[in-house]
Amino acid sequence: MDASAAKLIGAGLATMGMIGAGIGVGTIFGNFLSGALRNPSAAGGQFTNLMLGTALVEALGILAFVLSLVILFS
Amino acid sequence: MASPMEQFQIKKIVDLPDFTIPGTNYTVDMAITNSSLAMFVAAGALILFFAFLTASPKVVPGRFQVVGEGVFTFIDDLATSVMGHEGRKYFPFIFTIFTFVLTMNLLGLIPGNFTATSQLAVTVTLAVLVFSLVLIIGFWKHGLGFFKLFVPSGLPLPMVPLLFLIELFSFLLRPVTLSLRLFGNMLGGHVALKVFAGFIVALGGMAFAGGFGLHNLGIAGAVLSMGGVVALTALELLVACLQAFVFAILTTIYLNDAVTAGHGH
Amino acid sequence: MAPAHEQTHTGTEEPPHEGGLPQFQLEYWGGQIVWLLLLFTLLYFLMSRVFVPRMRKVLDTRAQTIADAVEQARRAQDEAKAMAEAGRAEVAEARAAAQRAGAEAKARANAAAAKRQAAEDERLNAKMAEAEVRIRASRDKAMSNVGAIASDTAQAMIEKLTGVKATAADAAALAAATAKGNA
Repeated sequence: MDASAAKLIGAGLATMGMIGAGIGVGTIFGNFLSGALRNPSAAGGQFTNLMLGTALVEALGILAFVLSLVILFS
Repeated sequence: MASPMEQFQIKKIVDLPDFTIPGTNYTVDMAITNSSLAMFVAAGALILFFAFLTASPKVVPGRFQVVGEGVFTFIDDLATSVMGHEGRKYFPFIFTIFTFVLTMNLLGLIPGNFTATSQLAVTVTLAVLVFSLVLIIGFWKHGLGFFKLFVPSGLPLPMVPLLFLIELFSFLLRPVTLSLRLFGNMLGGHVALKVFAGFIVALGGMAFAGGFGLHNLGIAGAVLSMGGVVALTALELLVACLQAFVFAILTTIYLNDAVTAGHGH
Repeated sequence: MAPAHEQTHTGTEEPPHEGGLPQFQLEYWGGQIVWLLLLFTLLYFLMSRVFVPRMRKVLDTRAQTIADAVEQARRAQDEAKAMAEAGRAEVAEARAAAQRAGAEAKARANAAAAKRQAAEDERLNAKMAEAEVRIRASRDKAMSNVGAIASDTAQAMIEKLTGVKATAADAAALAAATAKGNA
């Protein structure tokens, strides 16, 4: 196999890390929404925690994305 | 077609003499590049904004003042809600980080402008700045007691070393994730924008080449891509604000860890 | 995704610089870091020394103004309430005074009327007593006249009956005796 082809495949595989991030972000927002609908008065106070959790989960997806770009362009 | 990565290429605009750090033989190229120019523009815009805002403040604010004070109280509320009374002391730092990152993000969204926060050097510098501040404050306030941050209270003794290592590792990973999050978001957004913009050009070229109904298909595709670029720009506007906010909120939480060393509010 | 693929190809085939991503060209890091730190320090000092205190002053002034206005309004309300209370007390007092004055006037009028009445009564009594005295006097006179008339009558009756001319003294004694017997 050509080395550049292997690089492309590797980059594609690296983006799979974003699957986990997608699941995580969906879980966070879904659970936030179901909780917020049950107790809307408490939802506003948890906005900071929501953003924090999203940021932490998203960081892993971004990590995979950056890794893929690094593989692709190195 | 140009590579979507070409927009991140650093170019020298004004060449300044190199600067050698005293005591070492490491030289720094102090040339004004498009990246540092973007920082200058962002800092200048910020200074102008706040100078204008605070030049003649009114007790009953006008529209412009409402915007400025909205940003101010937003971060002020954030700092006090996370750090409590200590928040006032660290507020200028958090506020500077937030406004600077936000301005660099937003200015980068103007087509043709360079995005300073899409440079790993910039985000790493900001993250290391925050991280070193956390270390300095933590050890200055608590001494070796700062290590208590890595040992959750009420833990059975055999678990302590293991959890200490895990917590230490996640602590050391903080500047990495902090810098990569901002960098990755900005990089990814701009790459996606560039790819869609590239589609417009490619499909438009196809439309002009014509033949076999490809003409109409090319025009439809180009229009669709144009819509995609507009939608992505709106999304990137949200991401630019959100990432600045996330950077500020994480800075606040890390600083709070350093101030309280793990035992709560 | 053909165009994207094509792009990555062009990207890999002719990289803009040695070392892939432009972000990893370490020769540009130093300048960016130094400029960023310089600008950040400048911004931080401007923020912490100038802008943030100014903004905080404005916000504090506003909060103070609002608090003052609220305080003032509350004070005005309290004052109005106190005033209303005072007015109500005044009205009650005025009413009480009026009532007192009315009662007093009535009492005074009553007293005056009583005095006048008493004076009138006295005058009338005096007049009555005088009249009584006069009446008694006239009655006594009349009574004595009656005695004279009776003796005259008795003298005349005796003369008529007996044909004897009775003396006046006998007639008078007779009249007095009959008067006494009648009485």
